[in-house]
Amino acid sequence: MFGYLRPESSELRVREFELYRSVYCGLCKSMGKDYGLLTRLTLSYDCTLLAMFAVSLRSECSHVRDGRCVFNPMKKCRFCSSEGEGFRFAGAVSVIMTYYKLQDTISDSGFFKRTAARAGRLFVKGSYKRAEKAYPDIAAAVSDMIASQQQAENDHSGIDASSDPTATLLSKLCISLSEDEGQRMVLSRFGYFLGRWIYLMDAADDLEKDIKHNNFNPFRKYFEGDLFSAMEYCNSVLNMTVSQLVLAYDLLELDSYKEILDNVMYYGLSFQQKHCLFSKNNKKKCSKKEKDHYNYLSKGEKRS
Amino acid sequence: MNDPYKVLGISPSASDAEVKKAYRELAKKYHPDKYADSPLAELASEKMKEVNEAYEKILNDRKNGVSGSSTSGSGYGSSGYSDAGASSYANTYGSDSVYQQIRRMINEGNFGQAENALSGIPSDSRNAEWYYLMGVVYYRKGFLEDAYNYFQTACRMDPSNVEYKSMFSRIQQQRSTGSGSGFNASGAASQAACDCCDICACLMCSDCLCRSCG
Repeated sequence: MFGYLRPESSELRVREFELYRSVYCGLCKSMGKDYGLLTRLTLSYDCTLLAMFAVSLRSECSHVRDGRCVFNPMKKCRFCSSEGEGFRFAGAVSVIMTYYKLQDTISDSGFFKRTAARAGRLFVKGSYKRAEKAYPDIAAAVSDMIASQQQAENDHSGIDASSDPTATLLSKLCISLSEDEGQRMVLSRFGYFLGRWIYLMDAADDLEKDIKHNNFNPFRKYFEGDLFSAMEYCNSVLNMTVSQLVLAYDLLELDSYKEILDNVMYYGLSFQQKHCLFSKNNKKKCSKKEKDHYNYLSKGEKRS
Repeated sequence: MNDPYKVLGISPSASDAEVKKAYRELAKKYHPDKYADSPLAELASEKMKEVNEAYEKILNDRKNGVSGSSTSGSGYGSSGYSDAGASSYANTYGSDSVYQQIRRMINEGNFGQAENALSGIPSDSRNAEWYYLMGVVYYRKGFLEDAYNYFQTACRMDPSNVEYKSMFSRIQQQRSTGSGSGFNASGAASQAACDCCDICACLMCSDCLCRSCG
């Protein structure tokens, strides 16, 4: 996945921030135990969030322990671990997603990237086999997603149809987190818009690059020579997705990590959106007036 | 029934003002207007009911058994919002029976069937209602951009219809502000211009009024 789902740290309490860090480190450790040292490198913010949702929705008991980081033994870390399946589930998703992403790169990149991806795949393959065996449903869902994504891009689909595969995948993953009928319904909608947001966010982020390299991008139709107004359009599409996402999120029955998850949903998403669309991109190229506007938008007012 | 204090997310020692505040916030969160046309409307109204009941129970308990009609304190009566999701398609606006049937399908949750029925209507006899209903089907499916375009067309074809207009303005609100909070406002409209000239003009005006510059 892409790492857009992270909390806005300026809005977190210190203890919440430490807890978040310990979940990240704990997930890293759990992945190392289940799938080997190298797969720890595939860990992303998105999967950390998924682990927190899994633990929170199933009311799993979690505890924090002190230890040292594997990659930097000088650094002391706290590790969060849970009694149930939550961390394992997120680790498996991370490994499986990475494997398919490498597969995807092999099939549609240039020579150098392809070779690097082949080497990477060689390393992940063993872990992937193990994850696939433990969670065959996830592997099947991801491979479906890759196939229908390919199809959608070949058809040059619009915004809705091209984001549908990722949205459906996340919807399937989220549904599996609860047994309760009502919650499953909420989760299906929640996952759908979460996936849609991630996909569209990535598309908006890559828009400039895709135009340069003449790649497929669902927002390309809305680019008429001016990147800024295209970004404003992307922003309104993403805004609408976030508001639907929050509607579903408000109905979830969450247990632990509620403050951090609230932070991601209410602040983190909007912040990422602003950061990627208005302050990261091509600040150098635009005129002074536009630059002021970018600055204005990226600062913005926080909600009261 | 669950512990009413837990439902409102407060401790039993909370003051009356705190109870009221917590209730107001939750009532805003689960307000049926926000969930109109969403497949989650029913779940939201259940939550709303739970919150209403919890609030009433706390009020009653605190009045310490003062008898009878004690609902006067609740801002949002439980009866008002309990069936908002279910009734939204009962109104017909004098449309012919095909669209009534389709509305029924949407109400029952048969979106695939409704979409097929809508696609079956020849393109030269599609009116504003056709576009509106198609928008509803896509909205529920999560295809928000297509839904947006359909609602827009419906409003253009029949600008006087209140149902279409309220749906469309709700969506526009979502597009401009994200979670409906004014947090992620975009566009030139939100840009506040303030330069030297503005400051000078402002000072001059205020000086005229109250001689603030002596």
